[in-house]
Amino acid sequence: MGFLQILTYLSGLVFVIAFGAKLLKYATMPMHVRWELYPIPHEGKEWGGSFYEEIDHWKKVRHKDHMAQYRFMVPEILFIRALHEDNRPLWYWSFPFHMGLYLCIGGLIFLGFGAFVQIFGMVPENSALASLFQSLTTVFAVPGYILGTIGALGLIVKRTTDSNLTDVTAGIDFMNLIWLGLLFVTGFIVWLQDPGFNVSRAYFQSLLTYGPMKEPMSAIHVVNLLIFIGFWAYFPFTPMTHMVSKYFMWDKVKWDDDPNRGDAGMDSKIKKYLAYPVTWAAVHIDSQGGKKTWADIATTNPWENKDQK
Amino acid sequence: MRPEEISKKTEQLVTIKTEDLAPLPFPYDTYEETPITPLKEEQKKKWEHSLDGVSALTLPKPETPEEEERLVKAFLSGLEKLMTKENNWTFLQPLMLSLEYCAKCQTCADACPAFEMSGRKDIYRPTFRADVLRKIAKKYLSKGGKILAGFRGHDIDLNWDTIARLAELAYRCTLCRRCASVCPVGVDNGLITHELRKLFSQEMGIAGPEIHEKGSVKHLKFGSSTGMTKAAVADIIEYLEDDIEEKTGKRIKIPLNKKGAEILLIHNAGEFMAWPENPMAFAILFDAAGIDYTLSTDLVGYDAVNYGLWYDDVQFARVALKHIEIARNLGVKKIVIGECGHAHKALSVIADRLLPGAQMIPRESSYTLLNDIVKSGKIKFDPSKNDFPVTLHDPCNAVRLMGIVKPQREVLNAIFPPGRFREMEPHGVENYCCGGGSGFAIMSSGNFPDWKRLVSGRKKLAQILNAFQGEMDPSIKKMVCAPCSNCKGQIRDMLESYEVYEKTGIWYTGLVELMVNAMVDQKKPYLEWPGEGDDDDM
Repeated sequence: MGFLQILTYLSGLVFVIAFGAKLLKYATMPMHVRWELYPIPHEGKEWGGSFYEEIDHWKKVRHKDHMAQYRFMVPEILFIRALHEDNRPLWYWSFPFHMGLYLCIGGLIFLGFGAFVQIFGMVPENSALASLFQSLTTVFAVPGYILGTIGALGLIVKRTTDSNLTDVTAGIDFMNLIWLGLLFVTGFIVWLQDPGFNVSRAYFQSLLTYGPMKEPMSAIHVVNLLIFIGFWAYFPFTPMTHMVSKYFMWDKVKWDDDPNRGDAGMDSKIKKYLAYPVTWAAVHIDSQGGKKTWADIATTNPWENKDQK
Repeated sequence: MRPEEISKKTEQLVTIKTEDLAPLPFPYDTYEETPITPLKEEQKKKWEHSLDGVSALTLPKPETPEEEERLVKAFLSGLEKLMTKENNWTFLQPLMLSLEYCAKCQTCADACPAFEMSGRKDIYRPTFRADVLRKIAKKYLSKGGKILAGFRGHDIDLNWDTIARLAELAYRCTLCRRCASVCPVGVDNGLITHELRKLFSQEMGIAGPEIHEKGSVKHLKFGSSTGMTKAAVADIIEYLEDDIEEKTGKRIKIPLNKKGAEILLIHNAGEFMAWPENPMAFAILFDAAGIDYTLSTDLVGYDAVNYGLWYDDVQFARVALKHIEIARNLGVKKIVIGECGHAHKALSVIADRLLPGAQMIPRESSYTLLNDIVKSGKIKFDPSKNDFPVTLHDPCNAVRLMGIVKPQREVLNAIFPPGRFREMEPHGVENYCCGGGSGFAIMSSGNFPDWKRLVSGRKKLAQILNAFQGEMDPSIKKMVCAPCSNCKGQIRDMLESYEVYEKTGIWYTGLVELMVNAMVDQKKPYLEWPGEGDDDDM
């Protein structure tokens, strides 16, 4: 096993652990108070209405249109609809950038399938399935490289020239765009050198089998791989993982309008939270440095004058 | 301007000039604006104002460097607490997500009426104050935060100037959350403002005086943020009954503390003082529809407001729990919230997870109940009595933040002749805030009223004027229906400041007043336009 393979495994391990930890961190945070924002697709009211529009809503069975959530979210993720509607000048560059990434990930998945069947001797020259995977790798990856490069370049220019963005853009943001841009560009050059992705597939196969890399790899291919390995390990530590907020902020915040109807799970969480100690220091809170719980301070009215008539 | 510049040592970071403001529509397209009144010299010496020359908080300047240092430490300590589940289980998850994930795309900026109408002043961008907080958290509270801080984009200095400006800046956003509704990654910069206000209040005791000392404290001490005591409420209700008799020719008994009633109706107590026609109209409608309800005169129970919603979770919980306790003691089946937007959200949505389900009590919007009354046919309405143009303001709290969009529209369509009701653009869940949201309507310290007039209220004024273009002749009386006390207060202030009624014939009222005006049984007009009654206000 070579140095590159070890680096790739390590990078994958860092990604899985760091990204998993991030998901776990948010998934295990306390249930917050409701903070929904309308329209909520599962309410099924295209004008943005909610169950609060119905008299005695708590007596009625709630109907949640879960498919409506997908009808909203799929175009949002694939086509970045919010940016298309509300920030078109940025969308012209952000869309190809993201679509380029999605296509490259698709290409990588098909490269993996091709590498997997290759373990069993199925190669594009002798297997229709392997040939299909090879074609799909090309169909996804090559447009991905092109769109990604256009998007990254466009975003760099946009962030350099648009006065709305220059003040909020830091050196690290340019570094991230350049990093991904180089990944796309070198990937494209690798494809020019190896249009069938044979070397890449062989490398992937070596990763799947923990075996040696049999095909020689060009210098640019090594560079492309190192850029990828570095990015894979770096990515979970950056705000570029905004798919995390896209999931939690919509599904668990903006669309979380489940009313409290005495559900046992919700009740036990609320009881647990009300027992948390409070250490807020302002005088009116009267937390006594953590001696009091949320239940204590919320049920105390420091100003109540029992004799008031 | 980069967010890092907030810590710059300078007398004033930004100046609001009237020539920079976004223009208003006809007939205010050539209007000469009155600029923000500068603070007096003695005020400048006392209060922090170095953000934009405006003091909303009348925040005193620290007297010694040691005091400055203590305040800076208190701020950092508060920020740390904001990021713990014990101290902030209420909002931890959305806060942490919003702090971590801004994509710096500025899509939110164009959605913000304060940013747009100020003439696109950078400090009012929804991301500006949020970014300041993000940068402080990264640099001062995360491991290795100071390493390559400039390259990583969070090299911000934390000094008293930063904190004083941030405190004021937390009160330049109405928490309307339009910014959150357009963010492509779901970040909620409105929430960050909310959390920032909490940090200042819960850790440092800093808040707008009208929403804390004169707001939630008064509410818990006397029973109402207006200062109205329990004893005074019964007297006021009696006056209302007299006024109802005078207006309708019928004596109606407004039920108080009726055990076992179906409904506990809670008004914003400001209505009793500023717009008594509103609770009177509720009484007339509920009586005519045969609704079994009661008002409460128990401490806190006669004022639906909950100012803690805007700045302090503890004050919020104290008031919300009192509302629920009072309803349970009365044995009502549900609480109905009068025409008060933030009370809607406070009691229906935010308070929903404060107690185990068995201790909760159903809460309902008056808009929904009023629409049900209209649909039931129990009251006959004659739309020709409301034969004037009308538009509807959508209170953010009840509409974008609760999804109550249709009921109030269905009511208007039932009580106005066809073609008289027109929407503002945009409307519904895409509405613009009145400019008085998050406490601004009642905040009047320093020269803050000028800022509200010129910046936060400007977009709504433009929308109102646009809704009636082509009918600007003052002899054509036109109405803005604003079913929310705070929105009404803000709209009243804007209409009066710009002499809108005199110049265009546009005035404002709530939803129930329009309903009673259209009742077949109502012999005299219920609405009074300015100049028609004894008072200027209806």
